[in-house]
Amino acid sequence: MLQAINLRKTYKVGKVEVEALRGVNLKISEGEFVMVKGPSGCGKSTLLYILGAMARLTYGRALVCGQDIGSMTDRQLAQVRRRNIGFVFQKFNLLPTLAARDNIEVARRIHGASRGRNGHDLSEIAQLLNIEDKIDRKPSELSGGEQQRVAIARAVITRPSILLADEPTGNLDSLNSKIVLSMFKELNQKLRQTIVFVTHNPELVAYADRLIEMRDGLITCDTYL
Amino acid sequence: MYATLIISGLIARPVRTAVSVMAVALEVILILTIIGLANGITTETGRRTEGVGADIMFQAPNSSLLLALNNSSLPVALSNKLREIEGVKAVAPVQVQVNSSSGLEVIYGIAPDSFDQITGGFIWHSGRNFAASNEIVVDDLYAASKGLKPGDSLDILNHNFKIVGVVEHGKGARLYIPLKTAQEMAGTQNRASLFYIKLSDSHQLDQVVERMKTAFPEYRILPMKEYTTLMMSNYMSAFDAFIHVVVLVAVFIGVLVIFLSMYTTITERTREIGIFRSLGASTSFIVSLIFQETALVCVVGVALGVVSSFLIAHGVTFMFPTLQVMITPRWVVKASISALLSGLIGSLYPALRAAAQDPVEAFAYE
Repeated sequence: MLQAINLRKTYKVGKVEVEALRGVNLKISEGEFVMVKGPSGCGKSTLLYILGAMARLTYGRALVCGQDIGSMTDRQLAQVRRRNIGFVFQKFNLLPTLAARDNIEVARRIHGASRGRNGHDLSEIAQLLNIEDKIDRKPSELSGGEQQRVAIARAVITRPSILLADEPTGNLDSLNSKIVLSMFKELNQKLRQTIVFVTHNPELVAYADRLIEMRDGLITCDTYL
Repeated sequence: MYATLIISGLIARPVRTAVSVMAVALEVILILTIIGLANGITTETGRRTEGVGADIMFQAPNSSLLLALNNSSLPVALSNKLREIEGVKAVAPVQVQVNSSSGLEVIYGIAPDSFDQITGGFIWHSGRNFAASNEIVVDDLYAASKGLKPGDSLDILNHNFKIVGVVEHGKGARLYIPLKTAQEMAGTQNRASLFYIKLSDSHQLDQVVERMKTAFPEYRILPMKEYTTLMMSNYMSAFDAFIHVVVLVAVFIGVLVIFLSMYTTITERTREIGIFRSLGASTSFIVSLIFQETALVCVVGVALGVVSSFLIAHGVTFMFPTLQVMITPRWVVKASISALLSGLIGSLYPALRAAAQDPVEAFAYE
C-alpha cells in the first residue's frame, strides 16, 4: 500500500541544508494501523507528507498504491491525494466559514464522488463519529475534540484507502485523545483503512498494530505489536 | 457547494467584499456617465439643429461643421439672391454666437419673420418675441436650469438683456437675440454665420441643391440630414479617442482593484487553499473557485453601477436641465462586459498563484 525506498528529504533553510530524512526504508500493507513515534524534528511529519503526496522527495522512491510518486507532476500528485488519501491534521484545518456539514462535503466535491456511490453517506459517517447533532455548527462553535471528529469525517467521507494523521491528538486533552484514537481504531477495523498515525505521545501506542520509531531522519525501530 | 463556499467566503470578509463591489460599480459608473454625457450632448445638439426645420444649410466656404466655431462671413444680402432660386420658399440668416462663461451656450441672432418661416414659429411657454435690441428669448430648459422668467435680466457676452419670452426647446439654440444685436456684438454688420433654407417642396431637395451649387460653387451647401450626419460623425470621431481613454482608465482601475483585492484574499486564505490542496483539489477547482468569487463580486458591482448610473443621469438632468446623459443599452452591455473582463483579468494571477500553492508551506503559514 505504501512503500519508501531509501527515501531522503533535504530542506534549505536560508543557506543551510537540513536533512529531514536520511534514507528511510519502509513498507506498509493494506489495513495496517501504524503508529510513527519520535521526538520533534525527527522527520516523522516529513515522511507522512511525502507518503501522502503533499511534499516532494529529494532522493529515493516512494510508492502509493503501487504508483511511484517521486516523478509525478503536481497535477498527478493532487490526483493521488484525491483518490487514495485522507489527511487529519493536528490543527484540524477546517474551513472556518463553513458549517461542519459543508466542511465534510467539500472533500466529496473535490473528490467528485456522488452520495452513496463512491463514498460514505454523510449521516452514516456522522453517526460513526458521534457528531450528528453538531453537523450544522461552524468550527468556532465546536470543541477541539468535536472539530477533530469533523476533520476525520472529512478525511474518510470519500473512502480513501489510506488515512494519514499528523499528531491529530496534539491539541486534545487525554479524554478526547482516547476518543479520537478509538475512532481511528474503529475505522481501521470496520473499513479496513490503512492508517499511519504520527505522534510523540507514548500512551497512544497501544491502539496500533505496528510501531515505527524515528530519530534524526532515520527509522530506529519497527515493531509489530 | 460552490455557492456556499463562495458566498460564505465573501460574507466572512464584508469590508473587502464591499470595497471590491464598489470599485466595480465605480468602473461601470465612470464609463456609463461620461460616455452617456458625451452621447447626450452630441445627440441633443443634432436634434436641436434638425428641429429648426430647414431643408438646407448654406455656409461660407471652409466653414466648420461646428456652428459655434464659425465667423460671420456671409453677406446677408446674399439671402435675396438665394430666394430667387427656383424651389426656395424661405431663407433665414442666422448669426451664431457662443457664450462660454457658464458652460457652452449657443445663441442665435435671428430675424423673427424669416426664422419663423423656416421653423414654423416658436411654441411659446410665456411672454413674447423680442422687439428691442436688448431683449432676449430663452428656451424652457435654459429658463428652468437658471430659474429665469420673462421680466428677468440676463448678462450675456458683456451685454445686459431683458428676458421677454420663454419658448419650447429644440430649435437650434437655447437663446435667441435680434440679428442686428448679434451682428453688433460680433462687429460684423450685415453679415451672418449661415443661412437656413426652406424649400417649397422638400421632394425637390436634390434638384434645388444642384441649382444652388451651380449658382454658388464656392459655398458649402448641405441638406440638413446630411449636415446632421456629418456633424455627428465629426463629433463622434472627436469623442472616439476620449471614449477609448475613459474606458481604458476605467478598466485599468477595475483590474487593479480586483487584482489587489483577490491577491490580498489569497494571502489571507493561504491555509484555506492549503486545505483544498491537501484534499487533492485540482488547479481548475481552485482557479474556478476564485473566478466564480470574482464573477459574483463583478455581477453585484455591475448591477449596482448600472442602477447608480441611471440615478446619476436622472439627477444630472434634474439639476442641470440643459445637460442630457444618454445611457444606451449598447453601452450598458459594453460597460458590464468591461467590468467582468477586468475582474477576471485582475483575478487571473491571484487564482493561478493560489492553485500553485504548496500545501505543506500553506499549513506553515500563519
